[in-house]
Amino acid sequence: MAAPPPPTDAELDTYIKTRYALIGIDLSTLPENDPAAPMDQARVMANARSTIRQEVDYSNYVPDQQAHAAVLYPAPFAVWTGEYKP
Amino acid sequence: MTVEARQDMAVDAPQDMAIDRRWFLSRMAAVWAAAGAGTLLGGGALAAPALAHGGGSGGGSVWEGAYAKTIRRAALDDPTELTISEAAAAFRRRLLRPVDLMEAYLERLGKFEEIYKAFLWRPTDAELLAAARKVRLDSRSTPLAGILTAEKDNYYTKGIPTTAMSPVYADFVPEYDSTVHARLKAAGAIMMGKAAMGPLASGRARLADGTATTVNAWTPDDIRYSPSGSSGGTATAVAGRLSTSGTGTQTGGSITSPSQAQNLTGLKPTFGRASLFGIVPLTFTRDHPGPLARDAMDAAIMLQSFAGPDKNDPRTLGMPPVPNLVKAATVYTQRGKPKVRWATTVGYPPDFLSGANAETLPMRQSLLDTLVKVGCRVEEVPYPADWDLLSGLSSTAGEATNMFLPFLRKDVSLFADRLPGFLNGMFRSSDNYMKMLQARYQFLRLVLDQVFDKCDVFLTGTVFDGIGLPLIAFPYGMGVDTTTGLPVPRGTTLGAPPFGEERLLAVIAAYQAVTDHHLRRPPDPTVSAARARSFTAPYKVPADYDASDET
Repeated sequence: MAAPPPPTDAELDTYIKTRYALIGIDLSTLPENDPAAPMDQARVMANARSTIRQEVDYSNYVPDQQAHAAVLYPAPFAVWTGEYKP
Repeated sequence: MTVEARQDMAVDAPQDMAIDRRWFLSRMAAVWAAAGAGTLLGGGALAAPALAHGGGSGGGSVWEGAYAKTIRRAALDDPTELTISEAAAAFRRRLLRPVDLMEAYLERLGKFEEIYKAFLWRPTDAELLAAARKVRLDSRSTPLAGILTAEKDNYYTKGIPTTAMSPVYADFVPEYDSTVHARLKAAGAIMMGKAAMGPLASGRARLADGTATTVNAWTPDDIRYSPSGSSGGTATAVAGRLSTSGTGTQTGGSITSPSQAQNLTGLKPTFGRASLFGIVPLTFTRDHPGPLARDAMDAAIMLQSFAGPDKNDPRTLGMPPVPNLVKAATVYTQRGKPKVRWATTVGYPPDFLSGANAETLPMRQSLLDTLVKVGCRVEEVPYPADWDLLSGLSSTAGEATNMFLPFLRKDVSLFADRLPGFLNGMFRSSDNYMKMLQARYQFLRLVLDQVFDKCDVFLTGTVFDGIGLPLIAFPYGMGVDTTTGLPVPRGTTLGAPPFGEERLLAVIAAYQAVTDHHLRRPPDPTVSAARARSFTAPYKVPADYDASDET
């Protein structure tokens, strides 16, 4: 099955603004587009788009499904077996 | 080898030899899981097994070796040159009084602080002099009694503004001291002021509009060369001789980077070795407090004074005891020649030499040669497969958003140029956050199994921040900044396995015993602040300024 086309900037912008609105983040206190300002809405949006696209790269990393979870060592069993003497 | 035999051996071995690495791996995994679960860690469940407690080179007073046996004449002539170790020895031998030391520093502050801008807040001169006069030196004093420190402005200080140099904390006056500050005070240190820093611990010190404030002490006449960050104000204060030592924090290079940029020895301890209680957080899982100092011994004295368990920070509980760091940093000699205290193999990655440029290659080669001279074995250690992938995935994304959401909802403009880094965590999906945690676990395991099976310390950098391993930064030469054309110090960073602080200090103490890079001092400013202001416009950091290695 063919992969769906990657989303456009405009589509991502809609997603980003929706997410901000849901969380209660208001960007309107920033200028819309002013490179001289410490931050503006255009840079926030560009950065968010870039982050979301990078997230896709993270998805490509597939950890070993058999990699065991961390366990404390010595495990309680080590005392029973005499391998470890506290 | 039996547990008992290993414990016996551990008495004279550095602590990293006595640590069960699987325990550390498990503990870090539990810390990361706790961050996700939002639970508090109990000390009991995560306590190190008895095996891990045998280490260190303890016994007797830890401060015994902290007083310098010899004091440089030039440093006595200008007490702001003294290291902690030298100043403490000078006090003890009645060559100098704490108030003399304070007066010397106040004179420099009066002359140069308007140029350096290392501090955001300072007590009055009268208060500082009174504090110095109150110092009583007796048999119970620590070497920090009467010593002057710069403390990064993200450390809570009771009744004193603590802003993290950000509008987010503009009006914040803590009601209690951070554990580190409280312990430094208890040790007798006098705080010269709250040091400037990268806003919310990122990059060089700057105002909300991007105007740089603090200069690098090595280029005081040219603000363009960065003091580095985020503990840049501390670095400028210590290098510019406005304080004898200082504190910083590191999430991704913020102690080691300014130390390298300003010819200092910076120590980022193992995660959990020192308390984060009362420090403005960036993350739950990879913030570290640590000293920026003038040499390995001073770094040891500072960390010795504030490391150890703190009931207010569960991440410090159940750890192996703090070993005698001062002894580790004391120069060890064999047949009169400085040698590394414990047999140590220094690993370096292939690109340490192959990736060096014309300026750094001779410095790096010379570093390796010198380490051999002081008794280290030096060996190239290849990066394990997946190093880049796993270290890259162990990033911070997401954690800061969680911490700061209430402030983000209040007014995003408070975050100024730091805003995207704090907002973007809300675009990290839960499956990818799990991947980040798994990647950290795999990366830590990779480093323990495939790097530290071949060497005892490894020339590496901020990739160790995400997995909690200790780092020491130190100067190893001089170079030229390409923008300003000015001579500037160069340094590098050495990492160790869990609780390898003793090992790091021993290696760098031996290196500094036969080199003098750490003794170089920067030139004083040549222009007055008023003149500098009248001729130059405020310097704003460029729009593409990247502080990703300075958090």
